[in-house]
Amino acid sequence: MTTVPTRVPLVRSSDRFIAGVCSGLAAHLGVPVVHVRVAMALASLAGGAGVVFYAWLWIMVPTADESARRQARRPSSPIAPAVSRETVPAAVPWTVAPAGGEIAPPSTPDGGLRTDTASPRGLGYPAPGDAAAPGSQTVRPPWFRFREMRYGKEILLGAGLLLVAGILIAQLLGVDVPLGTLIPAAAVLGGASIAWMQLDETRRAGLVDKTKADQAGGWARLAAGLALVVAGVLVMVSGSGSWEQTWLALLASVAVLGGVVLVLLPWALKFWRDLEAERAGRIRETERAEIAAHLHDSVLQTLALIQRRAASEHDVIRLARAQERELRGWLFADPGKDAGQLSDRIKAVAAEVEDLLGNAVEVVCVGDTAVTEGHEALIQASREAMLNASRHGGGTVSVYLEASGGRAEVFIKDRGPGFDLQHVPEDRLGVRESIIGRMNRHGGTAAISSSGEGTEVRLGFPAAPQDSTEGKP
Amino acid sequence: MNTTQGQGSEPAARSARVVIVDDHAIFRSGLKADLDPSIHVVGEAATVEQAIAVIAQQRPDVVLLDVHLPGGLGGGGREVIAGSAALLPATKFLALSVSDAAEDVVAVIRAGARGYVTKTISGTEITDAVYRVAGGDAVFSPRLAGFVLDAFGTAPADIADDELDRLSARELEVMRLIARGYSYKEVAKELFISIKTVETHVSAVLRKLQLSSRHELTKWAAERRLL
Repeated sequence: MTTVPTRVPLVRSSDRFIAGVCSGLAAHLGVPVVHVRVAMALASLAGGAGVVFYAWLWIMVPTADESARRQARRPSSPIAPAVSRETVPAAVPWTVAPAGGEIAPPSTPDGGLRTDTASPRGLGYPAPGDAAAPGSQTVRPPWFRFREMRYGKEILLGAGLLLVAGILIAQLLGVDVPLGTLIPAAAVLGGASIAWMQLDETRRAGLVDKTKADQAGGWARLAAGLALVVAGVLVMVSGSGSWEQTWLALLASVAVLGGVVLVLLPWALKFWRDLEAERAGRIRETERAEIAAHLHDSVLQTLALIQRRAASEHDVIRLARAQERELRGWLFADPGKDAGQLSDRIKAVAAEVEDLLGNAVEVVCVGDTAVTEGHEALIQASREAMLNASRHGGGTVSVYLEASGGRAEVFIKDRGPGFDLQHVPEDRLGVRESIIGRMNRHGGTAAISSSGEGTEVRLGFPAAPQDSTEGKP
Repeated sequence: MNTTQGQGSEPAARSARVVIVDDHAIFRSGLKADLDPSIHVVGEAATVEQAIAVIAQQRPDVVLLDVHLPGGLGGGGREVIAGSAALLPATKFLALSVSDAAEDVVAVIRAGARGYVTKTISGTEITDAVYRVAGGDAVFSPRLAGFVLDAFGTAPADIADDELDRLSARELEVMRLIARGYSYKEVAKELFISIKTVETHVSAVLRKLQLSSRHELTKWAAERRLL
């Protein structure tokens, strides 16, 4: 019975004879394809109605691909043909009692006590004793709202078409229909609804992003609606269809309208400008508040801490470095750049080491790449190398990351006394295991060169080897 | 341990006259105290106008120039360089900044600065950098080298486009090592070339950085309204 929520969207299927209309329709209605095809063929015999219907669907109904693309592009366009709109319920967990037992809702915490068939069908009343009842009573079953919201326009349109058809039939049967009144009235209604749709649209999106194309379309629609209304009103008021009278009336009304516009325009402009100024002011104020909040949370706090810890040079330097890092990240972060790339991770690790040991770790990054599983090993090995460099080098640690074409290299350099890898005791796992072993296990390379003037650890990770998980063309 | 920018061959008696341009008095006095006694600070300035006047009057060997400065037309350090264009070959500019933004760095370099160092640099390093710039060489911090590699790409281009728009394989190697924190001396040792050759390469890169019309550089320049 209530299969509405499970109904698949009406799209043209790829399983097709001509244009996939019949199979799409069949899937949508939940009846066998053969039935639909036969019905269509029979209807075609009845004065070609089937052919017309088929052609109409062919034009109006998108293919599955198109539908998906459109939804990806415009997730909530009120104008997009709602016929093709995806019915969400299959993907959305039902938080209210379902409309019918056909849909299995995700089990509620207390779901074990409840059977789906126990809930009265159709209106979505929650089952008695259901713990979710108080909440779900306030919320209408989704399909109900759904229909009201999404199919409203289509239902109106259908009703209108039916009305027209009824009037035409009545006229054919000899009933005297006052067309002279009906047509202008319809024009007024149609024009007004077009204009109002525009208003709705403008409020929703127009004020937010004023793309020129949208605005042009909006103006055109507004003008069309206005023209329809004016024409309809004129014909209705003049009461006759005679052209001369209508033209005169049209001229007069345009003149009156022009006068009104002339008087009101300065007011409207002033109002508009005030509105714009106020909006700009509000945006500035918001920005200022955000900056102030940030400075308060970070810089002022750090300055207070520095004053209290002034005796300890080490603490002061560490605080200053941490604050500098944070502020830099905030000021110079490239908003166009994806977060969580390899360079971000390396910088985060460097910051951690800096905080831990107090020596500056300067990171220079060239290029960037997305972090893969293998890169985690690279990051961990880099961290280990930075820790060693900071601990034993005792000065500024230079870190250089170069990522290009999927290949990533990290160089960690310090200026400490250096060490001889041959003489590192077997039980010291830091270098041998955490750096060299780790890199080798994950298909990377690690090399260490050390002299009296410092140590450099070179880590390399090749472009994702025989890329099996991603990046396929 | 702190001499990142190379302990180059040090002539016994060297000295330089410098002007410090920075709008923070605390930073100026701190820098003055940090500099080697052989460097004579002959003037200080806090704004674009003061800086141009002091530089014209003192004709120093090196100007230590903050990138962000009040006054003038809002152009900061590069406006100072532009305003001192007549003295440019004799007076060298070394940019100092706290900014990490590529467009800031590239803007002053393209205006004519011979190098770029961050303000957290130590006294020894800044002294070394001053002498290097005074001697006509370029001073590249690891970060500036990183910007260069970003702008020119890390692969030596072999297509025959404008010579200014690409780095030679050797220049790339030098830039990479500098970005890795190597001093000029270490670069020379690593590549088995003389320090003089390293300096030549770096100066060549600086020239390309100043004259190239590579998209990335012009974009950065445009962001600072240089074009």
